[in-house]
Amino acid sequence: MKKIRMKGKSVEEAVAGGLKVVGLDKEKAEIKVVSEGKAGVLGMFGGEEAEVEIREKLGKEEDAVEVLQEILNLMGLMAVSEAAGPVSREGEDIMLNIKGEELGRVIGKDGATLKSIQILVSSIVSRDFGEKVRVFVDAGGYREKHDASLIRLAKEAAKDVEQTGQEKRLPPMSAADRRVVHVALKGSDKITTYSEGEGAERRLIIAPK
Amino acid sequence: MKELVEYIVRSLVDNPDRVEIKETPGEGSILIEIKVADEDTGKVIGREGRIINAIRTLAKSAAGREQKRVQVEVLSKEVQ
Repeated sequence: MKKIRMKGKSVEEAVAGGLKVVGLDKEKAEIKVVSEGKAGVLGMFGGEEAEVEIREKLGKEEDAVEVLQEILNLMGLMAVSEAAGPVSREGEDIMLNIKGEELGRVIGKDGATLKSIQILVSSIVSRDFGEKVRVFVDAGGYREKHDASLIRLAKEAAKDVEQTGQEKRLPPMSAADRRVVHVALKGSDKITTYSEGEGAERRLIIAPK
Repeated sequence: MKELVEYIVRSLVDNPDRVEIKETPGEGSILIEIKVADEDTGKVIGREGRIINAIRTLAKSAAGREQKRVQVEVLSKEVQ
């Protein structure tokens, strides 16, 4: 998203200067006055400049697509960012997908690079809009497949717990993966889930109710 | 590499004009130092280091092509 902070002798001057610098028409810009400024003695001394923040008017999804594309470009990847249509996952606001030649590098070991990209795009879009925006980023269906296998594993473990009445510890997982499993199992009236351990060792336990 | 880190950091903070990124190439490795306004330090590091670790992961991935190791550090007031 194009954005800039600009100072001027007056708010009008700062706005005009800022629009020129970012190359936006007034209708396409959102303007926030940071400081009205103060006139000084004889209009010259001790005054304080006015300051405004100007940003391009964009939707959250457009902004997210743009931020993701910029990151891919700067990483030197031949890959394209696209909106992935309506949100189908609980707790997410925007779904993006990455298409291209080097999806292995985009995904990284155990999906670590893809997850880092998702964290940064979410944080940047949240900052741009001044509210929490959760962005889900997939690459060629990798996350969907990964989540589907997690859910399969969790359902099998849950079945064991139901039959034996004994708790089962799942392998250590990231917060995002634990959430996927937790959401997949939360409808059950026979079992419940909770987390145990710290940091990289944190894991879900499936227990009978 | 520097451009990647600079874009991300500038996009995360409230004072992008106070962001300084220094890249020091060494033998087989690169050091990237990030300096931001005091009140923006937390935004670059994140809860439990989530943000800075994500920046490190992407920098490493980008550096992988050049077969170099990369170290990314945030300079905060206490250690300066």
